[in-house]
Amino acid sequence: MASPGTLTLVSTKDEDPASLPVVPARHPWRWVGVVFVLVLAAQFVHGLVTNPAWDWPTFARYFTARSIITAVGTTILLTVLGTVLGFALGIVVAVLRLSKSPFLRAVGWTYIWAFRSIPLIVQLLFWFNISYLYQRLSLGIPFGPEFVSFETMELISPMGAAVLGLALHQAAYAAEIVRSGVISVDRGQLEAAASLGIPRFRQFRRIVLPQAMRSILPNAANEVISLFKGTSVVSVMAIGELFYQVQVIYGRNARVVALLMVATVWYIVLTTLLSVGQHYVERYFARGDRR
Amino acid sequence: MIEVLGVHKSFGSLEVLRGVSLEVTAGEVVVVLGPSGSGKSTLLRTINHLEKVDRGFITIDGELIGYRRRGGKLHELKEREILKQRKDIGFVFQNFNLFPHLTALENVAEAADLATAREFLGRVGLADKAGSYPRQLSGGQQQRVAIARALATRPKVVLFDEPTSALDPELVGEVLDVMRDLARSGTTMVVVTHEIGFAREVADRVVFIDQGVIVEEGAPADVLDHPVHERTRAFLSKVL
Repeated sequence: MASPGTLTLVSTKDEDPASLPVVPARHPWRWVGVVFVLVLAAQFVHGLVTNPAWDWPTFARYFTARSIITAVGTTILLTVLGTVLGFALGIVVAVLRLSKSPFLRAVGWTYIWAFRSIPLIVQLLFWFNISYLYQRLSLGIPFGPEFVSFETMELISPMGAAVLGLALHQAAYAAEIVRSGVISVDRGQLEAAASLGIPRFRQFRRIVLPQAMRSILPNAANEVISLFKGTSVVSVMAIGELFYQVQVIYGRNARVVALLMVATVWYIVLTTLLSVGQHYVERYFARGDRR
Repeated sequence: MIEVLGVHKSFGSLEVLRGVSLEVTAGEVVVVLGPSGSGKSTLLRTINHLEKVDRGFITIDGELIGYRRRGGKLHELKEREILKQRKDIGFVFQNFNLFPHLTALENVAEAADLATAREFLGRVGLADKAGSYPRQLSGGQQQRVAIARALATRPKVVLFDEPTSALDPELVGEVLDVMRDLARSGTTMVVVTHEIGFAREVADRVVFIDQGVIVEEGAPADVLDHPVHERTRAFLSKVL
């Protein structure tokens, strides 16, 4: 006999236990949460539409203006150059950090230490003002005769200084991301490659890097996205990227909010594209993972 | 063919090999038995220089592995030269160590050209799995791909480090079959294993190693059925 409050699991004679309907657990608090968030979202959207201070007509006028599109192009160019050069140098620094030579390891470590210690904006201003420090750059024998020399101002334009600064900064972070990916690859993989007599460089390129990519990619995508938005720092060097251009325009017409929204929406759109790209690249490198 | 002479190896304060000498002639199949931690895997890994030795040396066809003798000293070889020597020594790992991002065929082709890779994949009976990734294969199939890969450099000797220990019991047979065929075709093999049946049937010689030294060696029938040494008897009574 079942006492009150307990369940009887044994069915009576004319009942088929397999036919009993299953009632899913109910989650009333989830619905409370959904309603709460939906109301907040509705208020926000309502505000966006009805509050004239957002100034959507101005937004629409500038969103695809030629000067803005050009600035978006510059932002993309800075991102691409910063990423490609930064990761190329980052891989080299990561290899130094993983080297068997204590000297090369120290060189890699020092690079990362230095460029992670200096704030990006400070570094950028240094490059921008490099011609105060060194007016001429020349190639020649150290402490000996010079073969060619350049005016620093001509060699390093503001754009060049920006790319240099972003790439050097990015390389320090890229190096650590690449290194973390490489050390996540199972030791047995290297032993297998070594036992087959595969040359060191080929081991790295064919065996280690493709597997390291699995854990490098999500972090690298983070870096690319943060670099993409980080290019706005370059506005201190009066380079016509998106954020600088927006500041110039609202400095003229005082439509601050509308123009900040122009920049915001462009950043959101392009970040979304990067995220979609990340999805497909990750899928490619996961190809050995399919069943 | 292979000559191991007075090899010592320590990891920190732990002396894993304490003067091991072993000779393997061409075409011979030597099975190495021993309790876990006895140094048998380390011995195998010193033969292709995955582990450096502290003392003693190893030669294959008279060529020193990992070192060059100049005057009274052994000079360590450059990595590139060691990698070249390893092409003469196939190695099959306990955990297969296939490259997971490459197909079976690409795995074998890392060590050889595509035609050779296809040939060896066929020899282990997996020609139809050429396009499969390691994860799509059973453990037994993965180990057979690994054997094909080890053979693809056409090594003088193939070393097997507990090749069936990571497999489900019903998959052990297919791997041992491949190894048996290899032995019959005259491949020189050194096999570390716990498969006593395989040792009895295929080995030309069984070597029993314990606490870093070779305790006993001889024909399988002698060592396995009439062990002389007490430690061999104790070990066999546990695994048979």
